[in-house]
Amino acid sequence: MKVIPFPGGGSSSPDDVWLAELEAALTGDGEGAIADSWRELRHDVRALAPPMDPEFERQLGERIAEREARSTPKQPHRRVGWLRSPGRPAAAIAAGLTALAVAIAIADSSPSGPPREAVPAPAVSNAGRAGPEPPRTEMGVARAAKNATAEGSASASAGAASNAPAPGGPAAAPGRVQQLAASITLAATPSAVQETADRVSRLAVSDGGFVQSSHVQVQQPGASEANLDLSLPSAKLSGALASLGQLAPVRAESQSLQDITNTYDAARQRLSDVTAERQALLRALSRATSEGQIDSLRERISQNRGAIAQARSALQTVSQHASTAEVEVTVTGDAHTASEGLTLHRGLHDAVRVLVVTLVILLIAAAILVPLALLLAALATARRMWLRYQRERALDTR
Amino acid sequence: MSRPGPSSDEHAPRAVAAAAAPGALSAEVFAALFRECGADVHGYAISLLGDRSAAEDVTALAFERLYRSRSRLDHRRGTPRAWLFAIARNAALDELRRRRRQPRYELEDELAADRDCLEALEHVERRATVRAALAALPLREREVVLLKFHGQLSNSELARALGISESNAGTRLHRALTRLREGCLQAERQEEIA
Repeated sequence: MKVIPFPGGGSSSPDDVWLAELEAALTGDGEGAIADSWRELRHDVRALAPPMDPEFERQLGERIAEREARSTPKQPHRRVGWLRSPGRPAAAIAAGLTALAVAIAIADSSPSGPPREAVPAPAVSNAGRAGPEPPRTEMGVARAAKNATAEGSASASAGAASNAPAPGGPAAAPGRVQQLAASITLAATPSAVQETADRVSRLAVSDGGFVQSSHVQVQQPGASEANLDLSLPSAKLSGALASLGQLAPVRAESQSLQDITNTYDAARQRLSDVTAERQALLRALSRATSEGQIDSLRERISQNRGAIAQARSALQTVSQHASTAEVEVTVTGDAHTASEGLTLHRGLHDAVRVLVVTLVILLIAAAILVPLALLLAALATARRMWLRYQRERALDTR
Repeated sequence: MSRPGPSSDEHAPRAVAAAAAPGALSAEVFAALFRECGADVHGYAISLLGDRSAAEDVTALAFERLYRSRSRLDHRRGTPRAWLFAIARNAALDELRRRRRQPRYELEDELAADRDCLEALEHVERRATVRAALAALPLREREVVLLKFHGQLSNSELARALGISESNAGTRLHRALTRLREGCLQAERQEEIA
């Protein structure tokens, strides 16, 4: 019986030399009896295992050869083949998120120009009038013009005006006499403030209105500004505002409506009263017999004539308020405003907005996906640890 | 004992590992890996499980799992051979856990056949001694010896397959081989006394 010499010298603790000798012996690098004994032991251990069954080896080899044949490179579908690539889903998700961000950014941003100010409610609400009213808005102003005309008022010239509000402006109540007002702020380059103010004036005149006041301040360099108070026919207010918006980008716009029906009715009643008084005085004068009565009546008629003129003037004023709209136009010009109209700036603005929305979406997605991924990773780790524990336990129980 | 298959060269088991390109495991390399390591995996499995059918199942399952995970092969974590034996180890332990069966050796027939050859008698006796000593080892230590000799893994690869540190793997390997040596010496003494 040959005694198998085992290396190691009986030492109970492994060291690097021992392991190195073992490695060298098993890889064929080691020489000598010790290395030969290691190799012999390995050969004996390996020889203990019976050989693979030829039939099983053949079948397994055939299966692997079949897999090899099946794994020849295939041309993926040109359109959807990339979806099967394991590295592409992340890129597809990123592209989808970006497209979603762009869509949200586009939908969220206004199509052009700055957001408009909220339109305030009418200064005076409908009050003090009872009973059925004419169905159309123009009826109120038309009635005022008709009454003024019948009473010889100069407001007849403005009687055809309508106080129909601009689309999106304050709604006019039917049968009411209302006064419209608006303010608009236009943004222009500093050098174009004067030109824009001139165009605003020409626009007011062309629409049948006029410039009540104008103040243009031009500073080089610096911020320039022009303030114009326009008086426009109420019927052309909406069109005028739209035309003003085409002169320069609109920074702000507001419209207001004030109900002056009571004032109008009071002025009209006053004119009616003094007119009736005149008729009465004239009838009394025709019946007067004494010189004293005639002189007294003529004096009162003279006074009444002044009252009638005063009443007509008041009614005319009120009618003008109803038929005209006051528009405050502010033209601002500064560097920021000037650059706002540039395509490059708008492009950068939109790009920044898209990036911000993208980041927000990614943040929200991360807030959802990261905890989920951590949970799944923890579960996977726990499963692996449990599986490993079970496998090691199988070794211990043998 | 003649060993079929391509793994007879015990000193050059890393040809496939060296030829394997970084990254994915190609079908050609996979087929070569089977030709080189198939018998070793089967030998490891049958030595650990002691059941031929179970060893064949484990061998087939190991190659199946390796094929499925070939795209995730990371050469920084070891050679394809080491990876294959790590998979085979897991499959063998799963088999052990599932079948709850005490491993046994089916070497009696082969040894009996070899005894007919007088020239191989010395080898047969020595292998019988080794077999007895190996069978006497605890399963955990026997597994280390089998992985080391059948898998022909380096200590670092052995550590990865076992899921422990390299120093711990060295300690475990040293302890297992020491017990194997002691078992062989004890068996030889008993035979001499007998």
